[in-house]
Amino acid sequence: AASQETFNFKMTNAYPPGAPFYVQGPGSPMDFCEKVKVMSGGRINIQHFAAGELIPAMEGFNAVAAGTVEMNAANAYFWAGQIPAAQYFTTVPFGMSTQGMNAWLYHGGGLELWHEIYAEHGLIAFPMGNTGVQMTGWFREPLESVDDLKGLKMRIPGLAGKVYSELGVNPVLLPGGEIFPALERGVIDAAEFVGPYQDRRLGLHKAAKYYYTTGWGEPTNVTELLINKNVWDSLPADQQAIIKAAAAACVTESFSWCEAVNADAMTDLVENEGVIAQPLPASIVSRLQEVTADTLETMAAADPLTGKVHKSFMEFRKKHASWAALSEKPFLNLF
Amino acid sequence: MSGNEWLIIGMIGGFLGMMMIGIPVAISLAVSGFVAGYLGFGPMLFNLMPARLYGVVTNYTLMAVPLFVFMGVMLEKSRVAENMLETIGKAMGGVNGGMGLAIILVGVLMGASTGIVGATVVTVGLLTLPSLLRRGYAPSVACGTICASGTLGQIIPPSLVLILLSDIVGESVGTLFAAAFIPGLVLAVIYVAYLLILGKIKPEWMPAIPAEERAEVTGKQLAKDLLRDVCPPLFLVVAVLGSIVGGVAAPTEAASMGALGALAIALAFKRLNWKLVKEALHGTLTISAMVFFILLCAQPFSLAFRGLGGDQMVHHMFEMLPGGELGALLFLMALLFVLGFFLEWIEISYIALPMFLPVFMNYGTDMVWLSILVAMNLQMSFLTPPFGWALFFLKGVAPPGVTTRDIYVGALPFVLLQFAAVVVLFQFPSLVTWLPEAIGW
Amino acid sequence: MKTAINAIEWLVEAMGGLARLVVLALVLLVATDVILRYLFSIGPVAMQELEWHLISPIALIGLSYTMKHRADVRVDFLYERFNWRLKAFVDLVAALLTLSVAVIITYLSLAYVQQSFRMGEGSPDPGGLPMRYLLKAFIPLGFGLLSLQGLAESLRSLLVLCGKLPPDTSNETTDQTSTAEEVA
Ligand code: NA
Ligand code: NA
Repeated sequence: AASQETFNFKMTNAYPPGAPFYVQGPGSPMDFCEKVKVMSGGRINIQHFAAGELIPAMEGFNAVAAGTVEMNAANAYFWAGQIPAAQYFTTVPFGMSTQGMNAWLYHGGGLELWHEIYAEHGLIAFPMGNTGVQMTGWFREPLESVDDLKGLKMRIPGLAGKVYSELGVNPVLLPGGEIFPALERGVIDAAEFVGPYQDRRLGLHKAAKYYYTTGWGEPTNVTELLINKNVWDSLPADQQAIIKAAAAACVTESFSWCEAVNADAMTDLVENEGVIAQPLPASIVSRLQEVTADTLETMAAADPLTGKVHKSFMEFRKKHASWAALSEKPFLNLF
Repeated sequence: MSGNEWLIIGMIGGFLGMMMIGIPVAISLAVSGFVAGYLGFGPMLFNLMPARLYGVVTNYTLMAVPLFVFMGVMLEKSRVAENMLETIGKAMGGVNGGMGLAIILVGVLMGASTGIVGATVVTVGLLTLPSLLRRGYAPSVACGTICASGTLGQIIPPSLVLILLSDIVGESVGTLFAAAFIPGLVLAVIYVAYLLILGKIKPEWMPAIPAEERAEVTGKQLAKDLLRDVCPPLFLVVAVLGSIVGGVAAPTEAASMGALGALAIALAFKRLNWKLVKEALHGTLTISAMVFFILLCAQPFSLAFRGLGGDQMVHHMFEMLPGGELGALLFLMALLFVLGFFLEWIEISYIALPMFLPVFMNYGTDMVWLSILVAMNLQMSFLTPPFGWALFFLKGVAPPGVTTRDIYVGALPFVLLQFAAVVVLFQFPSLVTWLPEAIGW
Repeated sequence: MKTAINAIEWLVEAMGGLARLVVLALVLLVATDVILRYLFSIGPVAMQELEWHLISPIALIGLSYTMKHRADVRVDFLYERFNWRLKAFVDLVAALLTLSVAVIITYLSLAYVQQSFRMGEGSPDPGGLPMRYLLKAFIPLGFGLLSLQGLAESLRSLLVLCGKLPPDTSNETTDQTSTAEEVA
């Protein structure tokens, strides 16, 4: 029999109010809260707060760990400052596609590792969304060779920024609102954000015309549902099942929504806005790939937990790559 | 009304009461927030407090506060600002309010380089208020002009309000920046017209530089003075705005070019020495911390407002509203104005906008136009006594003898002018929508 | 009591001296970062992060310094008409309230810093600054100093009320325009 106990939770979010996908829309965190409410017949009420409403964007991890709020929506790689291994639960450069990532998380030991590592901090996490493949970004000038990267000023945070910097790029940290004016005026030469739908919303196509596509830096991007472990353990089994099912439903829904709106947005950008969309030249990609391998190896060697996750991730990646080479890849090559 | 609603009213009343008897504004905010919040829901919500405070003191865009204040204090200490205003006043000849016009120009230029009200009001106030008073301007007129000019930066791009709104309404930052440009200038023009008219009616409130004194300087000398006194501050404008437009610096960092430029000017005038720098650092530290003191202590207040269900209260009011797009718009404008009496604009945006936007999307309201109306309205709340933040910030840098009453009285006409500007935009949406379409942003 | 007041204010002034240097460092750092990036396309992530790390000491250490120099904002509508005794009384209340608020916030933020310390929190960006708990520690440090200054002000107002100290005639004014001697 279902438990009749009701629960009122607060969920904070690392993204600002109104943001499609990250806050609202199909498969978004607000949609998750609604789904849970309906599925539980009103026994679980989650009140959602966008970034800044209760706490600043990047404070979700600490707030959930301290039990100040029960849940948070973000990306695990935002917590790389507390747990370096968390990077792998969102994406790593040249990592896996969304299909591969989901396979690793749900059936390749990824989720177990995630739980094991977070348990030490009194936390548990589940995937709750996915942007699909992101884009390399917007460039004011076309790129032809690795040399064009030297001295290039690019807004690119995180691990990808580190990889680029090895090839002479100057990674610039800018808050979201200043990306557009900076790119438009040429303070920076290039900027990475998300994908066609989100980038068009920011107006980046009005600041730079060259849109390099397939985002080797973020080939997939998992939204993290973070829950305080004590809160989770206190939930009856049926309510836990509801939360898990709603989160998994959001992964599928948000991902398929992104695929649909990105397709439209890309067509619009190319046909109506004069954007030149193309993948990076192969010579640049292969250099980036080499540097990424070194960077990841170094990271894995520096921290045992990261090493452990890296090993699991890479072993699965290898296995999945040979399968994908025979399944998805020939099919996609048809287009 | 529920118990919590009484608590909200008590909290606002308590804040007002403490503030009025002379308890520091920041402390009044924090105490009323803590007490009402504690009575309403116990200690729980205050566990969020450290993260909120951390968010304030690590907010990248607030870096513009110390940087701009440093520029302002340097200019003040090296007497560059004073000379500039005097010379402009002389160049304006017999026009009453000439120096006031210069201040509006300074406000526009500073507004075009930052979007932080605290930074602009404080800097403009620091630079110009002493000179205006010395030249016999009525304190209230001087204070009102400075507060109004200083808040122009809210609407003239780049603007923090517009950046936040762009996220909430889903329009690009560039579109909103372009849309706000003409309304910002319209507002400045309205201010200028007001000062010119006031100068005609009440010349004693804003006297021109006396004719005898003007006669002492020949045309040639005046031209030389202009070159000597107006060029350095113009150089700073070029340093700050030029570095943004020229692609050297992003908006927030550009403030550092102004700060560096002010050091360079002091050096060029042979006034740079360790004593001057030390004084400038002292001034920058006290003024910046004054701004942060208020921002930090506003956190318990807004957290309590939300925790006590202040947003629900607003929601209920909205549900009682008669239908229609116009009705909803008018209600939104009135609500923003009223909330602006006691809440910070970020909090207002979070509470009111997400709730209203779906309604306007259904009506098919132009979101760009709506955003600019909202931004203008929020800007107005900065100026509105008794809680307008621009007024507090100016009080923080005003010389002895300038009272809160002067600032309040001076700001009121500008609130009315702002209101007029909102009405103009309401009637002529093309003032907002034309530029973004014309330049394709 | 006067010794206690002097000791506290010496500490606040000394910490303020450090914060003044941080202001200078911020100005020079941001300008340097902009110029290096524009001219040479260099800008280590750590130097970019350091920019906004410097806001914390300015804002938080600045609190007590601002209060000591009476540069905080007060509405003087009624206050200016009070006699010295009532003024001293309002000052006492203000100082006691400051003391309480600052003590509460100091207390609340200690656990917050401890949590960050336990996790060894650093920047999520590779190449960013480590030891973020040091940055967070400015919250209890700043509000701790503010509690002390609040205590000093309470004691002073008490002494004024008891007639042991002359009323401060500069009460209703701020002193950004303080003299160099005072600053030095
Ligand atoms: Na991205
Ligand atoms: Na602005």
